[in-house]
Amino acid sequence: MRDTFAQTLFEEAKKDKNIILMTGDLGFGVLDRFQQELPKQFVNSGVNEQTLMGMAAGIASTGKRVFVYSIGNFPTLRCLEQIRNDVCLMNNSVVVVSVGAGYAYGPQGYTHHALEDIAVMRALPNMQVIVPADPIETRLLTQLLVKTNLPSYLRLGRSNEKNIHSKDIDITQGRFIEIEKGKFGTLIFSGSIGDIALKAAANLKFINYPVSVVSCPFITNLDREYLLEAAAKGPIVTIEEHSSRGGLGSAILEFLSFAKITSSLAIIAADQNNPSQVGSQDFLRKSNGLSPERISENFIALLES
Amino acid sequence: MTSAANASHVASALSVVDVLSSLYTGTALITPENSEAKDRDIVILSKGHAASALYAVLALQGFFPMDWLQNYCQDDAPLGGHVTSKGVPGIELSTGSLGHGLPYGVGIAMIRKLTGNAGRVFVVMSDGECNEGTTWESAMIANHHNLDNLVVIVDRNRIQSLTFTEDTLKLEPFADKWEAFGWETRIVNGHDYNELKIACMNSESPICVIAETTKGKGVDFMENSVLWHYKSPGGSDVAKAFIQLSENY
Repeated sequence: MRDTFAQTLFEEAKKDKNIILMTGDLGFGVLDRFQQELPKQFVNSGVNEQTLMGMAAGIASTGKRVFVYSIGNFPTLRCLEQIRNDVCLMNNSVVVVSVGAGYAYGPQGYTHHALEDIAVMRALPNMQVIVPADPIETRLLTQLLVKTNLPSYLRLGRSNEKNIHSKDIDITQGRFIEIEKGKFGTLIFSGSIGDIALKAAANLKFINYPVSVVSCPFITNLDREYLLEAAAKGPIVTIEEHSSRGGLGSAILEFLSFAKITSSLAIIAADQNNPSQVGSQDFLRKSNGLSPERISENFIALLES
Repeated sequence: MTSAANASHVASALSVVDVLSSLYTGTALITPENSEAKDRDIVILSKGHAASALYAVLALQGFFPMDWLQNYCQDDAPLGGHVTSKGVPGIELSTGSLGHGLPYGVGIAMIRKLTGNAGRVFVVMSDGECNEGTTWESAMIANHHNLDNLVVIVDRNRIQSLTFTEDTLKLEPFADKWEAFGWETRIVNGHDYNELKIACMNSESPICVIAETTKGKGVDFMENSVLWHYKSPGGSDVAKAFIQLSENY
């Protein structure tokens, strides 16, 4: 996803001089081409995320669209107040881009696990939170972000993610992207964890409970229409590689609650029972309860309750 | 206005008001008429708690009506206790959390160099603010990128929130620090408009003007007192302060 992002932004920036890419000294092998071919649109500030974000806001205040690239929690939590005051409250046109969502940097340890970022970013005023599921969504959402001026947060996986979509898709602000259709309920996921949701759906189909599976890239602009229909149809299970507090599941629960809709809903999120555990992304997902089995078990429990 | 609003930071405002007056009366090229121009000089008051001084200067220079000052800090008023940008002409950045103004100014100065914009950037900071790490991160970056269009003015009144700066976290040798970071550093009397103006004149590197000031300047019972970082003047204090200020200026 990071390479798709870098390539897409490079193509857009070649056409539009107003696009600036900044990094806090990260992106080795990823941002090289952008830096070499568009040096006047590239800034590496060094290792200093707070100052980097303040500078990004200042640059954006002059009419530029600034993308700030870093990994894990560095461009979000480390410089949170700069994002709040200088980007969001000033409504400056900055896109915070973080690579390494969830356990993508699993072996690197707790400092590199990004599990609270969605909750924190979506609490900020004027901020739109965008989470692509695969390289296809990454390309389309990057193109979409180039065309708007809103303060934004783009949460990316890392590298070598497979496409969850088998064909090219249309992306519309505030719409889910439906991958499978089934009448017994709905699995809603965000991020690069779609394959787990699809495996759960296959398990459920095998026992004659076909369900819909959708990707939700717009966390701060949910597909309300789809949610109302899904809540009427059957159980909803949300799946995210993030804390259960404040992420996709919370956002959907809040929407349904405000809409006074009683639905049966389960949130499948990272348990975080053992934060110091290290390991591959697959290992840490399983170890933290992000498995197809848990999704299907929760779905069946809701169906039978 | 500080008294009517029962607001704090009157001594911080008196400390920096001459620096701001100097900037808005010719040291920086910024007027109500050119305040939207792409190549205007940018002034950022990073010590946002001295908002009342900035508001007074902006009103006197015609950026907004004088009567706005009367509602300072009142319900739904345009002017809040810390510098607030939205809807207030002449203000580039909302501040109030220290250490935000300089990175923002560095960003603007850097993009102006990259795009050939001749406008300069002035960031007014407090000395206590130099405790913040972003100050020194920014100092390194501005030097590395040779931002000769950037001027920092430090309001060196030697008092911060709880006590004197040198008793809190030593800044001295302060000028040497900025010099070591590659800044052209000039120490001036921060209440002297001429000295301030000359100190801000172009150089081949970023400029740090250390403006030696007196906290609570012009009111004897406020001068060099930590108390007046917080206390709102009331009753006879207000009359005494006005008499002293009118005699001194």
